[in-house]
Amino acid sequence: MSSRQVDTSGFGAYAGPVLRNEAGAFTFEIADHHLNGADRLHGGMMMTLAAIVLGAVARETAAEKTPGATVRPLSLNCDFVSAGEKGDTVEGRADVTRATRTVLFISGELRVGSRMLMTATGVYAISGAEKA
Amino acid sequence: MRQPLPSPVNVEPPQGWKPSDLHDPFEAYVGPLFEREENGERIFGFIADERHADETGAVHEGMLMTFADAFLGGAAHRGAGERSCVTLSLQASFLTEARAGDFIECRTRIDRTTRAIIFVSGRFSVGEEDVMTATSLWKVLGER
Repeated sequence: MSSRQVDTSGFGAYAGPVLRNEAGAFTFEIADHHLNGADRLHGGMMMTLAAIVLGAVARETAAEKTPGATVRPLSLNCDFVSAGEKGDTVEGRADVTRATRTVLFISGELRVGSRMLMTATGVYAISGAEKA
Repeated sequence: MRQPLPSPVNVEPPQGWKPSDLHDPFEAYVGPLFEREENGERIFGFIADERHADETGAVHEGMLMTFADAFLGGAAHRGAGERSCVTLSLQASFLTEARAGDFIECRTRIDRTTRAIIFVSGRFSVGEEDVMTATSLWKVLGER
């Protein structure tokens, strides 16, 4: 299955790369520079991954509803369920819980195989949408 | 004492600030990060550059949350009597955009300490304007 890189500019690319396959799943390989002092995946990098995965789904949802619409994060909540290790491949998914005209509620998770690393929810404002 | 890790870019600290000693590879990778003392309180800061921003120049929420994790975690560690802590949960509210070139400061507060859990919040500002607030929960390792 082919994959393409998401969030390719600036911090998304600097901290990544994060790839997305044709089935819509996001993948990320843990390297040395992503670790904390205990050789686990750094909490900041985990939240960055959650921000990239939830943000990509939010942007895509907004753009489907209104071409040209963009999103801005209002809130992100991340729960640290277990730790990631160097060499692990992290898989991320996110779904739209609710979409209003101006706000998106997104829910997602990061896993390594069947082990849950993080659950996350985000609230995004839609901007650039046509006035109703 | 372990040597602090170097950051990939050299950034002069603003006047009155010194570089933080970073021992987590990911913090060094996004750094340097700075700190200073103000009336006995430790304040943290970083200068956002193009590494931290997106294509519009807005600082990525992942970078802001990494900065939060680093220094809310430092506050939890001190609140737990220098014992090791791990992040259980962190919630961030993004009040307004921070931009590449901004100097972003973080002030932390211990909201409550129990034997096993530390509650820490943080306020993040650029100049006089708050850009993010965060609340977090930390587990003191080995306590129950």
